[in-house]
Amino acid sequence: MTMHESELDREERSRVKWRKYAVTVGRIGLGVALLVAWKVGADAAGPLYAADPINVFQRIVSDSISGSLLRHITVTLRLSVEGFAIGCTFGVALPFLLRRMPRLTRAVEPYIMASVGVPKYALVPLFILWFGIDDAPKLWLVGLLVFYPVFIAVFAGIRNVDRNLINMARVVGASEAMISREVIWNALLPFFFTALKIALPRAVSATIIGEFLVGNEGLGYMIEYSRQNFDTTGVFTGIVVATALVLVINTALVRLDRHFNAWRPIDRDMAL
Amino acid sequence: MAAEVLLEVRGLSKRFGNRAGREPSPWVIQELSFVVNEGEFLTIVGPSGSGKTTLLNILAQIDTASGGEICLQSHAAPIGNSKSLKPGLACKIGYVTQEDNLLPWRTTLENVLFPLTVQRRLNEDTRAQAQMLIRAVGLAGFEDHYPHELSGGMRKRASLIRTLVYDPPIILMDEPFGALDAQTRTQLQEDLLRLWNLGRKTIVFVTHDIVEAIALGDRTLVLSRSPASVAGEHRNSIPRPRDIRGIMIHPEFAPLYQRIRVQVQ
Amino acid sequence: MATWQRTEDPNLARLARLAGSLRTRGDQLLVLIVLLALWQGLSLAFGTYWVGSPWGVLTRLGKGVMSGEILRHASYTLLEAAAGFLIGALPAAALPFALRRLPIVTAILDPFMVGGYGAPKLALAPLFILWFGIGIESKIALVAITVFFIVYFSALAGVRALDPRLVQMAQVMGANERDVARHIVFPGAVPHIFTGFRIAMPYSIGGAVIAELISANRGLGYLVQLSAMNFDTTGVFVALVATTCIVFLGNWSVNVVERRLLRWRPRPDLDMQAGS
Repeated sequence: MTMHESELDREERSRVKWRKYAVTVGRIGLGVALLVAWKVGADAAGPLYAADPINVFQRIVSDSISGSLLRHITVTLRLSVEGFAIGCTFGVALPFLLRRMPRLTRAVEPYIMASVGVPKYALVPLFILWFGIDDAPKLWLVGLLVFYPVFIAVFAGIRNVDRNLINMARVVGASEAMISREVIWNALLPFFFTALKIALPRAVSATIIGEFLVGNEGLGYMIEYSRQNFDTTGVFTGIVVATALVLVINTALVRLDRHFNAWRPIDRDMAL
Repeated sequence: MAAEVLLEVRGLSKRFGNRAGREPSPWVIQELSFVVNEGEFLTIVGPSGSGKTTLLNILAQIDTASGGEICLQSHAAPIGNSKSLKPGLACKIGYVTQEDNLLPWRTTLENVLFPLTVQRRLNEDTRAQAQMLIRAVGLAGFEDHYPHELSGGMRKRASLIRTLVYDPPIILMDEPFGALDAQTRTQLQEDLLRLWNLGRKTIVFVTHDIVEAIALGDRTLVLSRSPASVAGEHRNSIPRPRDIRGIMIHPEFAPLYQRIRVQVQ
Repeated sequence: MATWQRTEDPNLARLARLAGSLRTRGDQLLVLIVLLALWQGLSLAFGTYWVGSPWGVLTRLGKGVMSGEILRHASYTLLEAAAGFLIGALPAAALPFALRRLPIVTAILDPFMVGGYGAPKLALAPLFILWFGIGIESKIALVAITVFFIVYFSALAGVRALDPRLVQMAQVMGANERDVARHIVFPGAVPHIFTGFRIAMPYSIGGAVIAELISANRGLGYLVQLSAMNFDTTGVFVALVATTCIVFLGNWSVNVVERRLLRWRPRPDLDMQAGS
């Protein structure tokens, strides 16, 4: 009787180890290659079209020291959080309100869904016209962009709550408010958190884009102002910092989510 | 009537991969040996979890063995190394799995024609053959339906004729009728025997249902519990053509059933 | 309510459903009238300077369509969105297939792709305008890069969703690698790719519009910005309505194509009605 499988196991295990090693090396290699390509491209394209990575790095350092970078970041973050809070509040409150009025919900639903199709960014000039050039138009933009995913998630979550649980709660005498709080809220928490994971980074992006169009502070303003002054290094700096900011927030959210929901099977939802 | 040995299995053994640092896994199959004669309908019975599906997977070359040999038409098949496996052994071994595995994006007809497409044998004759088989199992009129539009029994039939259509010398069947209701199962058993009678293919049919094994097979092997090996071999001399619905009334049924049942415990 | 009544008579039940849906339609019509009245009310209250009236918007829209102006700008935006979509989506859909046999490369790329997906691509708009000018290229580039990452992950999920039993079945029947890729991997991935298309589509139009808002001389985003700068709210509304129409058009096209291509998909709601 020939024994094949112990050799197979050993082969399999060493192959897995080699693979992990190769992947890590490959990632570092690709990262380095991209940086090198950036440098080469910047040298080739000239200072107008591309900023040298070293210059960008220096600008980040100098702006950090002078405090202007921190100022811009703070402004952007503040706006994002404020807009996020507004959008979230309405996005959560509205479905709960609508829950008590099914007839109204059915009547209003198609219009809400149709309004999803309106590109919110296109509303910014209108907001500027109506609300001035301060924070207001940006808050409206962020608020709206956060509102929709949260609203849809909470709305769908409430709809999907098991009727039996609600009926059981009614039977034992729970008030509507109690039902909302206990049964429904807990059932829709996972949907809500998924929406949050999407909405928070989106709030920051939206703030930055809003700052392209209006205002005199913030990361978006920094980028657009640099562009208008043909300060390519400034444009690159702003983009690098903005990207890093959003990625950090993303990663933090993913870690938090994994930590708090460690008992859940991980759902790989790539859908937005 | 000297029957030629088509498939020979010698000392087959299998255990699944060890987890690093743990005890070696138990043997699923150990020293399993049997032969399959040409034109024979061989049924294999065994309790659930006795490695029946694993055995078929190894025979069909989609899984490796840990030891032993398999010879098809006197040619040894490579079964030790996963890299050298040849699934289906160049289309000599057909395999009707437990799940129907129909391609959801193909119509019934396209699914039945699939092996012919892949083997580049699609022509007028083979198409006619496919149509004939579709009619033979009562799927006429459903050629343009997608699998999700068919009932479980119809999907089973389609998956059955999908293997029959390219005529492999030996066909493995893994409890193909297990998930169906009794009525449909009996109907399909009759259809299968009828089709088998037309060409007298060699079939290895695995089931946990002793009645089915007796109704269909020329010979029945009994597998022991883990580790599986051949616990017994029973010749079935109930004459053909068999009456499936009335098989249990046949005088030879009861003693055969008893003998097999005792061994299956 | 209806959920608690159990009527044995199927005709009664159907009638009840019909009555219910008629009432809902009536309600929805009522809401529409209320919304329009509200709009008109706001317009009267604040003056058409601040809020263009519904009628004003309608007439201006009609004039704009007749003169071809709206269509001209709309087609410009549509062109940016469509070209950018194709340039971004096609490589993104093809990449997971090409890398299917090289899981190491996919793994190496993964953090970069995730980073690209999470990064705010729209923040690149000023950079692309710097590079390509205020013409159509900068918008196409922005749309392409936005769409790329979205479709990549959907296609990747589609390729990964491969059912190994189907592959085994095909191999037993003599399929080689090319056959498996063509008959099993690709058709199985198409629904996922279409989901990616559907998600990316509004982003393509949105991206084009945003880039136009920042800097352009044609397109619906440009129209919005121009009208706003001229304090012409009616013009802004007209451009917004046109933009929304394009989004709906895009959604509709994706749906139509998907329905044709994915006839084979089980539709749980329909199957239950048809009975088995």
